[in-house]
Amino acid sequence: MTLKLNNTYIKSSFTLMGRNEHNIKLKPDELIDDYYNKEKNVELGEVSYQIESIKGLLKKEKLKETDIDVLISGDLQNQLFASNFSARNFNIPHLGIYSACSTFTEGLIIASLLTEKNIKNVLVTTSSHNLASEKQFRFPIEYGSPRKKVNTFTVTGSVTSLITSTKSNIKVDSITLGKVTDIGYKDANNFGASMAPAAARSIYEHLKETKRKPSYYDLILTGDLGVYGIDILKEYLEKEYKLKVDNIKDAGVLLFNEESGSLIAGGSGPACLPLALFTKILKEKYKKILLVATGSLHSKLSTDIKESIPSIAHVVSLEVIK
Amino acid sequence: MKLKEYEKIVDKYSKKENKIKNIIIAFLSGGLLGLLGEGFVKFLETAFYMGDKEAYMYLMILLVIISSILTGFGIFDKIVSFCKCGLIIPTTGFSHAMTAAAMDHHSEGFIKGIGSNIFKLTGSVILYGIVAAFFLALLKGVIM
Repeated sequence: MTLKLNNTYIKSSFTLMGRNEHNIKLKPDELIDDYYNKEKNVELGEVSYQIESIKGLLKKEKLKETDIDVLISGDLQNQLFASNFSARNFNIPHLGIYSACSTFTEGLIIASLLTEKNIKNVLVTTSSHNLASEKQFRFPIEYGSPRKKVNTFTVTGSVTSLITSTKSNIKVDSITLGKVTDIGYKDANNFGASMAPAAARSIYEHLKETKRKPSYYDLILTGDLGVYGIDILKEYLEKEYKLKVDNIKDAGVLLFNEESGSLIAGGSGPACLPLALFTKILKEKYKKILLVATGSLHSKLSTDIKESIPSIAHVVSLEVIK
Repeated sequence: MKLKEYEKIVDKYSKKENKIKNIIIAFLSGGLLGLLGEGFVKFLETAFYMGDKEAYMYLMILLVIISSILTGFGIFDKIVSFCKCGLIIPTTGFSHAMTAAAMDHHSEGFIKGIGSNIFKLTGSVILYGIVAAFFLALLKGVIM
C-alpha cells in the first residue's frame, strides 16, 4: 500500500553513536565511545543512549517535553526494553514498535500518518547495541563460533528525528508499507541474503504504485543488506521484477567499508540506516531519496526450531527542498 | 523465484570461507598447543617427579585458567577468530565458552545469571560427553 503525503516534514535529527569498535568514520552529533555509558550493564547502556539522543534533540530544537505530541521508539531487545525504559523518563505519549532493522522507516510511516492528521511534533527514536543484540539473537563470538565473512555487525547508537507538520527542508513524499516476505531462505548468518527479497518486493511495489522509474530517484538507500546483500538485491530485482537499478547504496556498507579498514560485511541494526542518512546522505547533493529499510524478523527460537527467515521492508520516499 | 534459483544467486555473491586454509591453520595451531602441552607435561614429570595422570591434570587446569583469563581480557576472541577450530576443539574452547557465558550474564545475578547460564553451550558438551563415555565403557566391557 502506497500513500502520498502532503504535509509531513523531517525537521531535525540528533545522531548519537555508541562504542565505535571498528572506527566508523562518521561525524555524529554525539559520540559515547563506551558500551556501558556509566551504567551497570549493556542493556541499560542502550537505554541511556536513547535518553541522551531524545534529550539531545529537545535541546537542539529548544523544545520542551510538552511540545512533543507522540514519541515512537523501537529497538532490538526483548519486549522493547530499551524503548520502554527510556520512555519512562519522559512526559510524552509513547508508542513502542518492533520491526527489527526496518524500525526506523516503520516509525517514520506511523509518524507521518499522525502528522497528516495535523499532529504537530512527533519524535521517532531507534537504537541498537551490538553486545545487547548479540546476546539476544546469536551465539556471540565468545561462545567459540568465529565470525563468518557474510556476518554483518550491529551498529551501536541511537538516532532521534523530529517529524512535523510545519514546513521544513526535508519533505516526506510518500510511504509504502512492506509485506512480510519469506522465500524459504534459512541462513541466519547471511542477513543480506535473507532480506534482499523483501527489499526487492517493496521497491517494486512502490515504483509500480507511484508509476515511477528507478531513475526518478537520485538515490535508493537500503537499510542493512551489506556488501554481498546489495549485489544479491540487484540481480534479484533484475531477474524477478525486470528492474535494472544502479543508483542504489546500502547504509550498512556506507558505515563499514574497506576504506574504514574493516573486513566486516556491513553494519546492521535499527540505528544503522538513520545514522548513515543523517550524518552522510543528507549532507550530500541528493534531491530525491528512497529509503528502503529492511528487517529480518527471525528470533533465536525461530532459528533453533529450523524455521526459514521472514523479512520485511518499509519504504519512505524523501524530497530535499532547498 | 524458486528457493534453489535464489540460493544460486546468493552463492554467486556471498564470500565463502576458505575451508582448506582454515583447516591448515587449525591443524597447525591445535598441533602447536598440543606440542606445548606435551612439553609442559614432560617438564612436570622430570622437574617434579610427577606421574602421567597427575601431570596431565595440571596441564588441563593450566590451559583452562589461561584461556579463561584471556577471554576475560578480550584477547582470546582475537586469537580464536584466527586459529578457529585449532583452539575451539581443545579444552581451551570449552573454558572460553564458559567464561564468555558467565561474563555475558553476570549482570543478572549469581543464581539466575551466572548460575543458570554458565553451561549454556558447554552443557551439551558435558551431557553428550557423559553419554558417549557410557556407551564406550559398555563397548569396552563387552569386548574385553
